[in-house]
Amino acid sequence: MNKARLIILFSLLAVLILGMAISEAAVSVQCPYTIIDDQGNTANPNVICKHITGSDGFATMADGRVLYTFGFSDVTNQLPLDQILVTAELDARIPAPLIKVKEGQEFYLTLTTLPMSMRPDLFDPHTVHWHGFPNAATVFDGEPMASIAINPNASLTYYYQVPGPGTYMYHCHVEATEHMQMGMLGTLYVTPLQDGQLLNGFTQFAYNDEDGSTGYTKDYPIQITSIDPLFHDANLNVQPLPFAAMEDTYPLINGRGYPDTINPSTTLGTSAENNFKPSQNLPSLIEAQWGDMLLLRISSLATVRFYTLISPNLPMKVVGKDAMLLRGTAGHDLYYETNSITLGGGQSADVLIDTSVIGPIAAPQRFFLYTSNLNELSNDQEDFGGMMTEIVISP
Amino acid sequence: MREEIMMIKKINIMEALVILALVFLFGVQQADAKIYGISGPTFNLRAMKGNIIADDGKSIFMWGFANASTARVRFQYPGPTLIVNQGQTVTVNLTNTLPVPVSIVFPGQNNVNAVGGVPGMLTREAPPGGSVSYTFAASEPGTYIYYSGTRPELQVEMGLLGALIVRPAAITTPAGFAGCAYNTVDSCYHREYLQLLTDIDHTIHDLVLLNKTANVDNTIAYPVYWFINGRAGLDTVAKNFAPYLPYQPYSAMARMHPGEKILVRMIGGVRDLHPHHMHGNQHYVIARDGRILKGPAGEDLSEGLFTTTVAPGQTTDALFTWTGENIGWDIYGTTSHTCNPGPDNFDPVTKEYCPNHGKPLPVGLPDQNDLTFGIFYSGSPYIGSPGALPPGEGGLNPTAGLFFMWHSHNEKELTTNNIFPGGMMTWASVEYPSVILPAE
Repeated sequence: MNKARLIILFSLLAVLILGMAISEAAVSVQCPYTIIDDQGNTANPNVICKHITGSDGFATMADGRVLYTFGFSDVTNQLPLDQILVTAELDARIPAPLIKVKEGQEFYLTLTTLPMSMRPDLFDPHTVHWHGFPNAATVFDGEPMASIAINPNASLTYYYQVPGPGTYMYHCHVEATEHMQMGMLGTLYVTPLQDGQLLNGFTQFAYNDEDGSTGYTKDYPIQITSIDPLFHDANLNVQPLPFAAMEDTYPLINGRGYPDTINPSTTLGTSAENNFKPSQNLPSLIEAQWGDMLLLRISSLATVRFYTLISPNLPMKVVGKDAMLLRGTAGHDLYYETNSITLGGGQSADVLIDTSVIGPIAAPQRFFLYTSNLNELSNDQEDFGGMMTEIVISP
Repeated sequence: MREEIMMIKKINIMEALVILALVFLFGVQQADAKIYGISGPTFNLRAMKGNIIADDGKSIFMWGFANASTARVRFQYPGPTLIVNQGQTVTVNLTNTLPVPVSIVFPGQNNVNAVGGVPGMLTREAPPGGSVSYTFAASEPGTYIYYSGTRPELQVEMGLLGALIVRPAAITTPAGFAGCAYNTVDSCYHREYLQLLTDIDHTIHDLVLLNKTANVDNTIAYPVYWFINGRAGLDTVAKNFAPYLPYQPYSAMARMHPGEKILVRMIGGVRDLHPHHMHGNQHYVIARDGRILKGPAGEDLSEGLFTTTVAPGQTTDALFTWTGENIGWDIYGTTSHTCNPGPDNFDPVTKEYCPNHGKPLPVGLPDQNDLTFGIFYSGSPYIGSPGALPPGEGGLNPTAGLFFMWHSHNEKELTTNNIFPGGMMTWASVEYPSVILPAE
């Protein structure tokens, strides 16, 4: 009896292992050099190789509601490759992993599509669309009607010669309205060749300004997105998707609603639904020492409407839009100071905040950065939340 | 739609080279690549009813302006694109066959003189069965909108709007260019395209059709149809005057060759703002509302963007170019061709960026079984050389151009009444240099 059960067990195990070996054979990473760290740096400093997965998962809103999502997860340098299909299951991250590359680098970005754990009836492929890439090639543009998309259990390596500096975005473009509403959205930014020089008292810059006028002390990605919970629930429950009725009620910064935005934890978003995987890793609490120059890399990938973000008491100097330095062809600056930035989906702005404008301070001071579409300051039914974060300046 | 696309002349590399040689031998000039419209300075428009077909097959009842100077006056959406020259005295005669008064306002035109009809709130109106006449001097070149000034919150929604283009008079188009947007050489272009973005709440149209206009409540207007040049989704890439869209004559597709300067005239209509995103490259906004973005001393105030906010009633002119510079591999593939760099490192004939010449694609592409293919994917990453595709895949890109989606990035608007894909999306294509593109 025992022996028979053992035999059955072993044969089941054998079938399982064989089946896995077959189905996982297609995960592959293309990189011309050995990857040396989890950031994707390689033996050649001019070559960076990252590996991300596209899968489903769950995120937790600031009011505690757990929502079904699609998302990317960073698995760079994770080995063995064939285990990624297991370890990255339900690991959709909101927002997508931050991607930071240097101008002029060669960037190999491998995307592995995982099957949808909660929607095995879907066979959706995924893509990466580097939003704003100048002189793009369709094969690496990720817009599926003009390009190729990678099916579940397989990998596609995108190749980019990293273009000029600035704040871009990336997202999946497959069935764009659905996959973007579901959360496959992230910030991608490029640092300039000028970094490392000493100009205007700074060594890091938003752009190749040649005069240090875009220099900064600290930078923060601020991506505004929003979620319609009914759409996500319909998706989970295999219901027709409400495209026409889409109305977002969870306005977010970097995938979180206030007050989660100021929670410094990088492991929010765990729930029983996603096997307690931290799905919301990016805090948006902006911390500075008095005198610091802050660079906010603001972008919007909201799927329904325009949002205005205001910093009422700390003026913002806009130095770049859509990954372009605000400078005329004759070389004159077109920078401007403002307290508000209005962005539709797919727009970005690089703004500098000079923390010394408030005058010397004796104790930490708190400022707010929030949407002035005041009805969006909520987490669905819960007021006092939504698209808001804080800037804390210490003496 | 498939038939329309397939009518594009299919040209392989060898034929292309032969045509290229012929072009050089006989000095054949390619026709101008201008926006289709009707030329002034006198226009006869008729306000009339009609129907359009959205890409979900729904027939939507509309009101629109039609060109009354043709033998067979036909409703169209949007209204005819009116094209005049700077300095001309423009006259627009409007006759009204609708059961409500209709008028036209011309934002951006000064001293419009209205004659006839009856007085209205914004301008004189043509009563039902009547007519009115507007005259103005087109003093400034640029892109403008015109629309009904009578109950515009209803009548613009119903379709009574169109584009007005004023061509500059104080510049001679430089050799090789098709025209100039303004009286400056840096606004000259090889091709120009219109992107008129509108939205529709079809329930309003249903009420008007049922003579229940009094029940229209704009406070609850909720558009679920989005259009570029009056067409939605894949319909936007069908050619001008595609027979299956008899009342939506204007294509929105932007075809080009590498290196060409493309003028994109963006106009917002109706009620919402749309972030219009162009795949392929960043573009430069050179003018808004028919005024070039230059400072008092002529300094360039143009703005480089990858997504332009198109606001209702506002126009934006942008220049777009795709060169493939720094792509890192040979855009024409590794089959035999030459690259003879000019001073800017581009081959002046093939427009190839020579530092990339001969470089293979740096990565291998996955097995075809692991890929999903787009209908506009030629089967290869290279311009002008299609690759093998599995049966039934691709097929709508016979010239093997690179296709780039131009679309509203408020992604909800990429749907047509609850169906994805649809709505406010179209494509640009970058074609092999010898592929002959339509003149209009």
